[in-house]
Amino acid sequence: MSGYAIGIDVGGTFTDIVLAAPDGRPGGNVITAKAPSTPADQTEGVLAGLQLVAVSLGLSLFEMLAATTRILHGTTVATNALIEGKTARVGLLTTEGHRDVIEMREGLKPDRYNLRMPAPAPLVPRDLRILVRERTRADGSIAVPLDRPSLAAALDRLAEARVEAVAVAFLHSWRNPAHEAEAAAAARARLPGAFVSASSEVLPEIKEFERFCTTVANASVGPIVRDYLARLERRLIASGFAGSLLVMLSHGGLAAVAEAGRLAAGTVLSGPAGGVAAGVALSRLGLGPALITFDMGGTSTDIALIQGGRPALAAPRGLGEARIALPSLDIATLGAGGGSIARLDPSGLLQVGPESAAADPGPACYALGGERPTVTDANLVLGLLDPDRFLGGSRRLDRTAAEQALARLAAPLALSVAETAGGIHRIVNARMSDGLRLATVRRGVDPRRFSLLAFGGAAGLHATAVAAALGIAAVAVPLDASVLSAWGMLNTDLRLELSRTRLDPSGIEADRLRADFAAMEEEGRKKLAWFSGEISFRRSADMRYGEQVFEIPVPLDGLDWNSCSLETDIAARFHDRHEALYTYALRDEPVLVVNARLSVIGELPALPPIRIPRGPASSPVAERRILLPAPLCVPVYDFASLRDGQEIAGPAFVESPSTTILLRPNDEAHLDGRGWLLLQPAAAISDRA
Amino acid sequence: MPDPVTLAVLQNRLSAITAEMGEAMLRTSYSQILNSSRDFSIALVDARARLIAQADHIPVHVGALPWAVRALLEAFPEPEEGAVYLLNDPYHGGSHLPDLTIFIPVFAESRAILFSVVRPHQSDIGGATHGAYNAAASEIWQEGLRIPPIRLTESGRLREDLLAMLAANVRHPRDFRGDLAAMIGAARIGVARVEATLAEFGAATLTAAIEAILDAAERHAREIVGTWRDGTYLGEAVLDDDGHGRTDIRIRARVTKRGSDVVVDLTDSDPQSLGFVNSSHANMQSAVTMAFAFLLDPELPRNEGAFRPLTVKAKPGTIVWAEPPAPVTLCTSHCANEIIEAVITALAPACPERAMAGWSRRFRIALDGTDPRTGRRFIWHLFQARPGGGASSAGDGWPAAGEWHSAGGLKFGSIEITEVRFPLFFERHEFRPGSGGAGRFRGGDGSTLSLLVETAGPSLANTAGDGTRHGARGILGGADGAPHEYRLVAPGQAPRPIATKETGIVVPPGSRLLVESGGGGGWGEPRERDGAGSGT
Repeated sequence: MSGYAIGIDVGGTFTDIVLAAPDGRPGGNVITAKAPSTPADQTEGVLAGLQLVAVSLGLSLFEMLAATTRILHGTTVATNALIEGKTARVGLLTTEGHRDVIEMREGLKPDRYNLRMPAPAPLVPRDLRILVRERTRADGSIAVPLDRPSLAAALDRLAEARVEAVAVAFLHSWRNPAHEAEAAAAARARLPGAFVSASSEVLPEIKEFERFCTTVANASVGPIVRDYLARLERRLIASGFAGSLLVMLSHGGLAAVAEAGRLAAGTVLSGPAGGVAAGVALSRLGLGPALITFDMGGTSTDIALIQGGRPALAAPRGLGEARIALPSLDIATLGAGGGSIARLDPSGLLQVGPESAAADPGPACYALGGERPTVTDANLVLGLLDPDRFLGGSRRLDRTAAEQALARLAAPLALSVAETAGGIHRIVNARMSDGLRLATVRRGVDPRRFSLLAFGGAAGLHATAVAAALGIAAVAVPLDASVLSAWGMLNTDLRLELSRTRLDPSGIEADRLRADFAAMEEEGRKKLAWFSGEISFRRSADMRYGEQVFEIPVPLDGLDWNSCSLETDIAARFHDRHEALYTYALRDEPVLVVNARLSVIGELPALPPIRIPRGPASSPVAERRILLPAPLCVPVYDFASLRDGQEIAGPAFVESPSTTILLRPNDEAHLDGRGWLLLQPAAAISDRA
Repeated sequence: MPDPVTLAVLQNRLSAITAEMGEAMLRTSYSQILNSSRDFSIALVDARARLIAQADHIPVHVGALPWAVRALLEAFPEPEEGAVYLLNDPYHGGSHLPDLTIFIPVFAESRAILFSVVRPHQSDIGGATHGAYNAAASEIWQEGLRIPPIRLTESGRLREDLLAMLAANVRHPRDFRGDLAAMIGAARIGVARVEATLAEFGAATLTAAIEAILDAAERHAREIVGTWRDGTYLGEAVLDDDGHGRTDIRIRARVTKRGSDVVVDLTDSDPQSLGFVNSSHANMQSAVTMAFAFLLDPELPRNEGAFRPLTVKAKPGTIVWAEPPAPVTLCTSHCANEIIEAVITALAPACPERAMAGWSRRFRIALDGTDPRTGRRFIWHLFQARPGGGASSAGDGWPAAGEWHSAGGLKFGSIEITEVRFPLFFERHEFRPGSGGAGRFRGGDGSTLSLLVETAGPSLANTAGDGTRHGARGILGGADGAPHEYRLVAPGQAPRPIATKETGIVVPPGSRLLVESGGGGGWGEPRERDGAGSGT
């Protein structure tokens, strides 16, 4: 490794920076910093954070950036735009007779028993969905040639409406993109400033609803993401940076700025993807092949599965009014976090979440005006949080405010304040373990085979209870738990995800499949032509039985592609996978390949491994009184002072400025010198503890 | 009563258990109707046939499963530990024949305390026509295989001979066996999770918590109902016809609301019919419960407690409660939708802010033909061209979101996939502007479809549905939605209207199906509509 590598994760509250130095630097090789995020212009917070890191290196910002080879970036620009509805004004050009694909929503409406719920406004209103006379058939032949006057008239309408972006989405462009390509070219010529996105460029796959919606979402955040990345790149260059700026995508790989701008909708999971990338890296560093990442933040808890050292990609996901079918990590979100509010529901039963106090006003103990008790308030009253050391002492917690908020809930329940706090702690643990069980079952796996990788501000206080309730034997908390997403970005590779829909009615046609993969490999090499490192490929396919509706992803690595029995070998892969997922296979049924997928991976240099020195075990730095539920005096250890192999028995706390880990009575832990604390929950402890 | 914290943990646990059963069902079921359209229901019902917890899948089953448990307990007053039970007969607690119901009891202290219940819709259940919907049927035996409550196991093992007998009576025995295995697997997961909960908390705590959870739901429901205006209200909904020549069949609801109680009396509904639009008893109970649930808060758990304020009266021999051997297969759509509409229309003046205008009616077409590209025979079901949802005080109705009984739960397939798989060409498939009923808030628009049939040789179409005479009901001054209008245009022939209950329609190649699906009903006076027209 020649220069510095810097990971930057812009979150809702903080912008986290992790700098990895080349080998041999005295005083460790990783420097971290947190700066407040600046939602109005995220580049402000980024530059402020970089400045902090430069200061701790004893360098100027210019000197540091000039010595930096690459910057890896997770951004929430697209996510925020979609959640807040502040998207670009988009016009849609679509096939005549099919104006309402995106608003028909395949006939589905969420929330089955809620019939008093207005339909949300689609990302493109009907009057900006403009019809073009054209039609391609399912076999790629042309039923209605592209009518140029109708295209010109449509573009006039969009010009008049002053759209900032144009989505072009025609039926069967997955099979024959010619009409879309012509319309997109015409749009670029007629509307020079607009961001133009054609569905066959964004997601060249069959299923018009997914493809059209993804394209519309891409157009609606495209100009915003493109402008933001250009601004950031400009500012970094002006501050001395001459390396490559890479952006974290939802699928967990990195992409160059131009590609991330083109596929802007592919950045919506940019931040959380860093956490999963960290899980993959830690898995490789020795944490084992089967992990559940457990990222408990203020409003929610994100969960992802890593199996065989790899994360899974998911089906389409919704965000705000957008629906995005680009390859994306399969991250499940539970509506429970540190800010989750405890309340009595209208029937008088105690509930915790899903409503959250978020950062503003935040939990009552933040003393920012929040009056309703949250999980964090309960944890404070139970003694699980140190009011003076929260977020490294940057936010003093007000215990009295927390008690007052809890007292308002305790009175109607006829419980004491402490009992109420203990109850909230227990309920949130139960909610998370029930939710986590469901999330794993939904993915066809048994949680007991996994270790839990806990990170995010609130995870350390709840992870062992959740693990115990699920029968999970090991919980790992990494040393850099509070900036783990940014650290993860430093530990992942460049990746392009390419696909082709391949619906051979006769089943699997090996020659056409070989040709598809060859074409995609060439496209991948071309797109990564700027990259000087090693490029590798991973093949997979979405497959199903002829009469089924859902495809399942089937890895195709390690096959002999020259084999005469390729068709049977591929079919066998599918049958095995189907059996593993659904308990049965129909080995006599015809099998269909729907999409061929290629991951193009540009390998980035690995970071030097973390080594925590051996040495005499460190002693507790303090002692705290907790109620869990009985009063206990608990020693507090400093996370950074623990030595390789040091063992700790619960009850105990292990704390860093941004993380508090609770070892319950009879829990055991030891520090692994490769950079994490490994906890073993006492088997006897259930969610009642 | 358990402490409030234990109560919260157990309430969450019970709904997590039903959700996990649903996931297992979804992942392991074989047939498309289950793994794609999620046409199944999952519940925990106690030994007093009370609904304890239910996963949200198909609303029309919400109130039906307890009646199935009641029928089971009549046939097997002492259920056996480890046994698996099955029924589908609408005259023994079922809704209609395609809905099989599996039960496995959970035992505590050698007593059955709960039943893990799974009910999926089968794509076929034997009988005279493919796919269970037989517009020509005049007796239930023409609709398929009847299964009164039976025990599928002997000494805890499934009886292979019995399974073989059942499978021999349906058209897709492999789907049938596969789905049955998935149902039993899902029900067993429910049993295992409840047993683990019992081991953790004890039977006394769990049963006490269940009572407290039901009581809490009742309190909440009564609080809501208490805010409605007292009075006796009449509501009526009209079925187009029964497919056997009888038109305008009326469902009449007399609803009395006093204090926190609601009595729904359907006694004055028209006599039962010769055709499959009759309702079974359980389906009628379920439709009324569903109407009531729609008027409560969506957040309120749907359990027996929440429905305690509701009393249902009806008379055997009427369209809402047919006596054997009348056919009933269409009833989970029709007349379930009309029962719901009659009840909600009646209560609209009592709780105008909560009542919603009519959602549309179902009108299905199945096409049986040959694909010229492969020479293979295919059967295609129309799920596209969804009709519109009803308006409410919250705003305009959802466009193309469907019928009362599915309420946005029925997904239609991709047009691109459909064109790849079937010799069909979708010339036009978009909203049908103006089809939603006028009102302060408008009904959601239905859809318009022009479908070119490119088969080799003529194909045959069957239909099942309603709503070409009567559109979705507008309420509180809102107008009705436009009714459905389906036509067939064969090459060289004049357009021919397609009726909702036909069999054996000949569709020559090159024909066009022209579908205008109905819009939802409007809510409130149209003149009160503000300029912007949005609900918020």
